[in-house]
Amino acid sequence: MKELLVLVFAAASLTDALKEIAASWETAGGESVAFNFAASSLLARQIREGAPADLFLSADEVQMDGLEKAGLVEPGTRRSILSNTLVVVVPGDATAPLLSARDLTTSRVQRIALGEPGSVPVGVYSKKFFEGIGIWTLVAPKVVPTESVRATLAAVESGNVDAGIVYRTDALISKKVKIAFEVPAASGPAISYPFALVKGAPREAAARKFLEYLSSKAARAVFARYGFLVTD
Amino acid sequence: MSAFAVDLPVVWFTLRVAALAVLLLAPFGLALALLLARRRFPGKALLETLVSLPLVLPPVATGLLLLKFLGRRGPGGRAAQALFGMDVVFTWKAVVVAMMVMSLPLLVRTARVAFEEVNPRLEAVARTLGASEARVLSTVTLPLASRGIAAGLLLAFARALGEFGATILVAGNIPGRTTTIATAIYNDVQTGLDGRAYGLLAVSAALAFGAIFLSEVWLKRRTNA
Amino acid sequence: MTLSLEGLRLPLTPFALELDATLSAHVTAVFGPSGAGKTSLLEAVAGLRHPERGRIVLSGRVLDDAARGVRVPPRQRAVGYVTQDDSLFPHLSVAGNLRYGAGRGLAERPALAEDRVVDVLGLSLLLDRRPSTLSGGERRRVALGRALLSAPEILLLDEPLSGLDRVLKDRVLEHLLKVKAAFPLPILYVTHEAAEVVALADEVVILESGRVAALGPPGEIFQGVAHVSSA
Repeated sequence: MKELLVLVFAAASLTDALKEIAASWETAGGESVAFNFAASSLLARQIREGAPADLFLSADEVQMDGLEKAGLVEPGTRRSILSNTLVVVVPGDATAPLLSARDLTTSRVQRIALGEPGSVPVGVYSKKFFEGIGIWTLVAPKVVPTESVRATLAAVESGNVDAGIVYRTDALISKKVKIAFEVPAASGPAISYPFALVKGAPREAAARKFLEYLSSKAARAVFARYGFLVTD
Repeated sequence: MSAFAVDLPVVWFTLRVAALAVLLLAPFGLALALLLARRRFPGKALLETLVSLPLVLPPVATGLLLLKFLGRRGPGGRAAQALFGMDVVFTWKAVVVAMMVMSLPLLVRTARVAFEEVNPRLEAVARTLGASEARVLSTVTLPLASRGIAAGLLLAFARALGEFGATILVAGNIPGRTTTIATAIYNDVQTGLDGRAYGLLAVSAALAFGAIFLSEVWLKRRTNA
Repeated sequence: MTLSLEGLRLPLTPFALELDATLSAHVTAVFGPSGAGKTSLLEAVAGLRHPERGRIVLSGRVLDDAARGVRVPPRQRAVGYVTQDDSLFPHLSVAGNLRYGAGRGLAERPALAEDRVVDVLGLSLLLDRRPSTLSGGERRRVALGRALLSAPEILLLDEPLSGLDRVLKDRVLEHLLKVKAAFPLPILYVTHEAAEVVALADEVVILESGRVAALGPPGEIFQGVAHVSSA
């Protein structure tokens, strides 16, 4: 009888990898884990409003910093072991080649889906990337903001936008988009996924154990398989 | 809480698209209401149900249907590309369409009642006096149903102003292009700009209150027959 | 004018109205108890209801022919129909109501002059009023005037004196007599009051249980009948 449910709020890009990790965790006798996948900005907001999350797995440091400042992070539990790469994807049936960021400024590309550039981590990263190479003002009018990286992926899959920026791990999951090009690590922003225990977590003991498990060799292997860059 | 503020451009945009939606909806919606009020025909119950669907389906479900239809790969989207060379989804046009679809049931139901309340005897006598169907419509039916029709249009407008679920799917939430009062509130809440959200909430509440109140007043004071 | 109702069958409940008659007097009354189908007959002549069988022919013009599928629409029939509840347009003034059908006059059938009709019916002081402010008798007269001004070939009056008190009845009756005297327009007049028939009609059709029970001048028809009025 497993009534103890560890509630994990996790960034949308971690969806598939985490589900697999949790499945092996439970098979090995661990407590049941339930997930709330969404953009980290929304999750952080929900935690601030009192959502009973045990763990917060964020896609950027900014959201975690915000929670820490609000005293909602259990000290000593924060660590980042994952990174990711940004890629530009286009619909699977797109014909015109897109080779570099400059191509996004041409009239061939009318609409670009990005996570909300003011809050959703992948969108924040994307905007930093464009600003870094000086084309944000040219690209901004074409932006269709989305709720999360998965929503960006869906928009590109539907063909209603010409391109989108997602994490490489998301592009690999989808069969309906193709990667036009990768954002080189040098020109891209530093992506980091901090994990932490939420202060006052209702199921603290079980949550700590799962958090430990996420850094285990088994879990790291799963993350790597999905395309995440595993540090440490 | 962030500073209380009212995003006037968003309010203005919402008012404009909602007004356009009602304007475009009116001829079709009123014709439909007249048809349902006056005629019996096979499949009438089916038509009534279809018209009422947006009222009962979750707005996002309707939004999903619209997205499929109006998207670049859907029949509506492709037609728009072929005929006008333009995209519909993620533009203000999609906002207008979403508002039209969501407001249709309210307009049709209210106007239908208004038409049903027009004494058919008056229309019959008008015909015996030599009036064509068009003249009967414009000089007897519409004037006598006018208050109910106005109430219906106002309700449709109020509904359009508040439309969210279908709009956000089919038009997204693009600042300056498709952001309405409702989607702006959603966004402001998500990004922690509560002050702005409350500002828009106040405007939204005032508009809704005004529209519904006026509509109720009109519905009560119908022309004496 | 001649109104021929040939082999007419109008489905009603609980029975059907069956008529075969030719009416050619100036004022023809249709007399019978309530529910005898009198209003339905007027509606059929006006084109608001269609016979299951038979023909309606007005002065040589076929208005309805069930067998051949001929159904002239009401607006082309040139009938002036005054309903039992007046059916005045509440959103128009008396003048607006009077003039509603005014565009229909033709060279061979010019419309009656408005002044004349207003004069005969005593409506000159009411022209700017709204129907809701008028008395029963005044509304009756406006409805009559409206029908007269639409260049009709025949007037159809459905119990014009019903619902009026004694005094108003007499006044409207007076006006009807004036209309009869002033305009050579054939009138089909429905009522269940024998007194009205005697006062106005040149010819009366008695309807009973959906059939013509008698047809002829009122004097002959009502002679020797002990109880003439029916309910």
